[in-house]
Amino acid sequence: MVNKITEAAVEFFDKTFLKGTLFTLDKLLNTLAKAAPAFKKELEAQDTTVQLKIRDNSQGRFLTFRNGEVTGKTGVFDTAEVEMIFEDENIARKVMMGQMLGDTVDFVNAAKNTSLVLNGPDDKAMWFSSLLLKVFAFDVLYLGNYGVTMENGEKRYVTGTNGGPLFVYVKDGKIVRVTPIEFDEEDADPWTITAHGKKFTPPKRTTATAYGMGWKSLVYSPDRLLYPMKRVDFDVNGDRHPENRGVSGYERISWDEALDIVGGEIARVRQTYGPGAVYHSRGSHHNWGTVGYFTSASNRFFNCIGATGMAANPDSWEGFAWGAVHHYGNTVRRGGAEPYSTVEDCMKNAEMIVFWSSDPESTSGVYGAQEGTIRRDWVKQLNIPVVHIDPYLNSTASFMGGRWIAPRPATDTAMALAIAYVWLQNGTYDKDYVAKRTQGLEKWAEYINGETDGIPKTPEWQAPITGVEARVVRALAEEWGKRKTYLACGGLHSFGSACRTAYGTEWARAMVCLVAMQGMGKEGVNFGGLQYGTPLDTHFWFPGYAEGGFSGDYMGNASGVQMYNRMPQSPSVNSEYQRIPRLRIPEAILEGHAEAFDMDNSTIHGQFRKVRYPAPGHSPVKLFYKYGGSYFGTQPESNRYADMYRSDKLECVVNQSVWMEGEARFADIILPACTTFERWDIGEFANCGGYIEKSYLQNNHRVVFMQHKCIEPLGQSKSDFDIFQAIANRLGLWQVFSEGNTEYDWVRRCFAATDMSKVISWRQFLKKGYYVVPPLPENRRDPLALNWFARGVKKDTPELTPLPSEYYGRYGEGLQTPSGKFEFEAQSLKRFDPDDKERLPICTYIPSWEGVGSEPYEKYKLQLISPHSKFSFHTMGDGKDSFINDIEQHRMLIDGYFYWIFRMNPKDASARGLKQGDIVEVYNDRGSVLCGLDLTERLPMGIVHSYESCSDYRPVGEPGKSPEQNGCINILTPKRFITKNAHGLAVNSCLVEVRKWEGECLKWKKCI
Amino acid sequence: MEKVHLVVDLNKCVGCFNCMVACKDEHVGNSWLPYTEKQQKHEEKWINPVKHERGTPPFTDLCYVTEMCQHCAEAPCEKTCPDAVHRRPDGIVLLDPEKAKGNPELVKACPFGMISWNEELETAQKCTMCAHLLDAGWKEPRCVQACPLRALSIVRCEDSEFDKLVEDQKLKPLYDGNHQPRVLYRNLYRYTTCFISGALAYKKDGVEKAAADAAVRLKLDGEILKEVHTDFFGEFKIDRIPKNSGTFEIEGLMPGYRPVCCEVTVKDESPCLNVMYFEAS
Repeated sequence: MVNKITEAAVEFFDKTFLKGTLFTLDKLLNTLAKAAPAFKKELEAQDTTVQLKIRDNSQGRFLTFRNGEVTGKTGVFDTAEVEMIFEDENIARKVMMGQMLGDTVDFVNAAKNTSLVLNGPDDKAMWFSSLLLKVFAFDVLYLGNYGVTMENGEKRYVTGTNGGPLFVYVKDGKIVRVTPIEFDEEDADPWTITAHGKKFTPPKRTTATAYGMGWKSLVYSPDRLLYPMKRVDFDVNGDRHPENRGVSGYERISWDEALDIVGGEIARVRQTYGPGAVYHSRGSHHNWGTVGYFTSASNRFFNCIGATGMAANPDSWEGFAWGAVHHYGNTVRRGGAEPYSTVEDCMKNAEMIVFWSSDPESTSGVYGAQEGTIRRDWVKQLNIPVVHIDPYLNSTASFMGGRWIAPRPATDTAMALAIAYVWLQNGTYDKDYVAKRTQGLEKWAEYINGETDGIPKTPEWQAPITGVEARVVRALAEEWGKRKTYLACGGLHSFGSACRTAYGTEWARAMVCLVAMQGMGKEGVNFGGLQYGTPLDTHFWFPGYAEGGFSGDYMGNASGVQMYNRMPQSPSVNSEYQRIPRLRIPEAILEGHAEAFDMDNSTIHGQFRKVRYPAPGHSPVKLFYKYGGSYFGTQPESNRYADMYRSDKLECVVNQSVWMEGEARFADIILPACTTFERWDIGEFANCGGYIEKSYLQNNHRVVFMQHKCIEPLGQSKSDFDIFQAIANRLGLWQVFSEGNTEYDWVRRCFAATDMSKVISWRQFLKKGYYVVPPLPENRRDPLALNWFARGVKKDTPELTPLPSEYYGRYGEGLQTPSGKFEFEAQSLKRFDPDDKERLPICTYIPSWEGVGSEPYEKYKLQLISPHSKFSFHTMGDGKDSFINDIEQHRMLIDGYFYWIFRMNPKDASARGLKQGDIVEVYNDRGSVLCGLDLTERLPMGIVHSYESCSDYRPVGEPGKSPEQNGCINILTPKRFITKNAHGLAVNSCLVEVRKWEGECLKWKKCI
Repeated sequence: MEKVHLVVDLNKCVGCFNCMVACKDEHVGNSWLPYTEKQQKHEEKWINPVKHERGTPPFTDLCYVTEMCQHCAEAPCEKTCPDAVHRRPDGIVLLDPEKAKGNPELVKACPFGMISWNEELETAQKCTMCAHLLDAGWKEPRCVQACPLRALSIVRCEDSEFDKLVEDQKLKPLYDGNHQPRVLYRNLYRYTTCFISGALAYKKDGVEKAAADAAVRLKLDGEILKEVHTDFFGEFKIDRIPKNSGTFEIEGLMPGYRPVCCEVTVKDESPCLNVMYFEAS
C-alpha cells in the first residue's frame, strides 16, 4: 500500500517536473539570451523547430527558433525538424537532473536503451542538444565565471603542458604571461624525507621547463594555422597532382568547403575501397589534457569512422621492451621497473648511483619538468658518489659532477659484461639472493667467462671496443661490488639513448641483470636516479591521458582498467583491424606491404606476434589523415616520408595541425587546430597513466588542474574535438561521437568520475584551477619497489599488474617470468627462438652493424648520437618562431637563420677544417642535413651529437632529394630494426661525415 | 633603505634557460611603460646563461654563467648618460624609455655589453629586475621565479648586511672594476680559475689498477700548496688554480711504491695529465 502511494507520488512528481521544465524552457532560453550576447549568438546560429515529447505523445512542447528568439507551445505536432523523445517522464526527470548535477549514468543508460532519442539533421540536432547543456554551464561559458581575478584586472587561469602546469595571466582576451604554479596557504604541505640526519622537503610550487615557459610564443606563433587550407593544385573533382605535395603552396578555404572535402573523401574511399582505406596516425604526444588528447577525442572519432591504425613501436623504451622484459617482466611499463618509494630509499640507503645513458635533467624523465632537479640537488648535498656513463657529457652529469665515462655508442653492453665478469671473478655479488630469487646465472657466466666462445669478457677485452680504459671499468666494477648501488638506466627506470642503438636490447638486458646480481629490491639496491618514486599518495585516483578520456575504447588504451566503471560513456570500437607498423609506414604505402612484430604491454610473449599489412580483406590505404607534422623530425631515415607523400598511391592527404610545419606542408587539405590554451580540458601534472603507470611519482606534488579556456581560438582554428565533431556531423555520426556533449561537458563528466569530486566542488575547482593532493603521513607511504620480491613475499606494491594469467604459479607471487624468478637465461626467448643470434636467451654483446669497424665506417668516421631533445619536447616548442629558438644551446643564429646544433670535439673539427659557428653539412648515404657547428669538450673524439626532433622540414631543393636546412637529423639515421625480431628503432647507431656548407640557404627573416 | 640584490650560484644552475625564456615571456609583446618598452622577440636578451667549459674528456667541467645587467651602484651607464639612467632608492637601475629612444650611445655606455639595441623600436633596453612586478607586490622577478633551484635568488637588505653576505659566502663580481654591482656570483671559480686533473695507476698481477686513495700534492718551487687524495678511479682534480699561474709540480704518493711526479704549466686552459704509473719501491 505504502509502495503504491510512493509510486504514485513519484509519477506525479515526474509528470509535474517535466511539464514545468518544458513550459519554462523557451522563456529560460530567451532570458539567457538577453543576459549574454554570446548566448544570443548561439541561438541565432540555427532557425529550426524542435518537438520535445514523451514517446506515447502524452506530453509535449513544440519550440520554434527564429532569429535568436524562441517561442513555445504545448502539445505534440508532426512538423518539427528536430525531435527529442523520452520513453517516459521518470527517465526525462532523471536525465535532466543528472545533467544538472553532473551525474550522467542515467543519460548514458537511457541513450543505450533507446529510452532517449534525438532525431533530425545532424547539425541542428547537435546544436539543440549542446544548447540545452550550455544552459547548465551558462555562467561559466557566457559570464566567464572561472579563474581568479587579480588586483590589476588580469585574470589568472591554469593550464597544463608537457613541460609542467602553468598559471596563465590574461588581459583583454590576450595572454600576458605564464608562470609555474606557486601554492598558497590553503594548499597541502609537502612531504619530508629524512636521510643521513638531514631533512629534505620540496618547495611549495611546481617547476616548468623552457618548452613549458615558452608557450605564449607558441600560441601567438606566426606559423599558426588560422584557416582551413587547400593545396592550390589539388582539385578533389579533377587532377589532384600528388607529385606536388611538399612543393605547391596553399589557399584559404572555408570550413564548409574543407569539411565537405574531408567528409566526402572519407565516405568515398571507404565506399569505393572498403575497410582500411582511411589511415590515421599522429605523433607520440599531444597538447596536454585528458578529453582532447589523441587517446580520447581522436581515438573515439577514428573508431567511429573505421580506420587503419598505427602499430606503435615502443620508441623511447625499445631495448627495455624488446629485451629486459624477458628477464623480469614489467611489461606494463615496457620493461621499466616499479618506482615506489625509491627516492626515499635511494637517499637513505644507496652508497653510489650509476647513471647509465640517463639524462633526466634533459628529458625530465617524461613530462616531469624540473621536479627531479630539486632531488638531485639533495643528493649533491648528501655527497652520495655518482658515476655517469654516456658518450656525451649530458646535462645530468655536468650538473651533478662525478666521473664521466664515455663509451662509444652501442658498445655499452661490452662494458656491462666486463663489470659482471669482475663480480663473478671476485665473488662480489649477492650470492644468497642469486640462489633464492634468480635462475640461470651459471648459463650467463659461461658466456661471460668465455667458456662458450673462448673470449673472457674482461675489462681488458672491452677496452678496444668501448674506448674506455680497462682500469676505469675495473675500478667501477670493484666499487659497485662493494657499495649498495642504485642504477639509473635511462632517465625513467628505462629510456636512454643506449636502448635505441643496434642491439640496444642487449644493453637494457645487461642493466637489469647487473642489478639482479646485486640483490634487486633490497634496501639501497634498485633502479632510478631520483626521477621517479616520490612519496606521494597513490590511492587518490585521477586518470592520465592513456586512460583514454571519453574514447570509450576499452581495447585501444587503458580505459578498460580504470575508466569504464567510473565515467559512464558509451563504448566505441574500431571494426577495422588493419594496422601499419610505424617504422614501415612509407614502405607500406609505396610498396603495398609491411610487417613487424607487435608490442604488447600486457604480456611478455605477446611481442612474438606479427602485424601484417595489408590485413586480410582490407583495402590498401588511400586517405592519409595525419595529426601534426612530427615524423620528419622523429622517425628514422625520414626522407622516406617525402617520397611517400608525393606518391599517387595516396589519393588524399589530410593534416590536422596547430602549426604549419613538417608533414603539414605535404597535405592536400589542412585543418587548423587550436592549442589547449583556447579550449577546455582537465589533467594532472606528469600523469600519463597507462603505459607509465603512476608517472606522477616523478613530481614533488600531485597537482590536478583545470585546463581553462584562457582565450578564444585564434582565427578560425577549432579544438580537435570540435573539428572531429564537425566531420562527424557530415557523416551522421554526431551522437555516436560525442553523445551530444561538448568538450566542456566531457571535462565536467571526467571531473565527476574522479576522486577530485570528493575533495573539491566543481565551482571551486573552476575558480582556483588546481588542487594539490595531500601526501600521506610517513607511516602510510608505499612499500619499496621490488622489496617484496627481494624478501620473497607476495607483491605488495600498489598496482594491478601483471595480469593474473601472467603468473604461472600462484597469483601475486614472484615476477612476471614463467619461473616467477629473475631469469638470467630467459625462458620466453628460449621458447621463441633459442638460436636467434641477435637475441639469445642470455644477454650477449653483438657489434653494431653501423659502428667502428663496420662496413659503412670506411666512408663515415663519426658516430652520431641523437638523444631526446632538451629544450623542445620532441618537436613541441621548437621552430614556430618561438622563444625556444633563442636558447643558444638549442639553435644557433647564423646569417639570419636559426640552425639546429651539431656538436663535435674541437680536434675532430680542426681535422676537417671546421670552426665554431660554421654552417656544416652532416651527411651519409641516407641524406644530408645542414646544422650550426658547436665545438665542445662534452664529446670525446669520433663521437658527435645532435638532438632528434627538429619540428619543421625545409629541404633546400626537391623534397626528399636535397639537403635539409632545418635540422631533421633523423634523415641520417637508419630505419633498420634494433634486432631482427623486434619492431624497434636503433637511431643511435649512425655513422656520418661532416663538411663545411658553401651553398645557398634560406633566411629566417624572409621565412616569416 | 633595503636594496634589491641578485645572487647567482653557478653550482645550482642546471642550464635550463628558464630565466631567459621567462624574461621573454614577460617582456616580448608586453609594454611596461614607464619602466620599459617591449623586448624584441629575437636577437635581444636581457638575461642569458652562457655555457663555459673547462678541461677535456673525461674531466670536462661545464657550467653556465648568467649574464645580465649588474645593477651597479656606480653604474658606468649612469656616468656616461646621467639623463637617461635612473638609479632607484632600492638600487635597481632603469633606463628612461623616452630618453633611451634613438640613443645608441647607451649601448656603448655599458662596458659589459648588457644594454641592448632594439632594432624594431630603435631604443636601448636592458633588464629592469621586473621592477613593474616588484612594485606591484611580486616577491621575485620572472627569471628568479622560473629558476628550479633558485640558482638565481633575490636578496633584499641594507648594504651593510649584504657586505657581510658577500664576505661569508665569498660572492664575487662577474666583471673587474669599481662599478659595485648588485648582481654577484657564488662559485664563480668554475668560470675564473683552472683545475689540474689526472690519474694514478699501478700494475698488479699483470693487470692495470686504479691507484685509489693515493696522495697527490700540488707543489710550486718545492712548497706544497695543496694535498688531495685520489678517488676510487685513482683520479684527482685540484681546482681553483688561477689562470696563468705558472709551472707546478704534481707529486703522487702511495705506500709501498716510488713517488711519481711531473710538471704542469697552467695557462688559460685546465690541463689534464697523462696517467702516471706507480712502480713498487
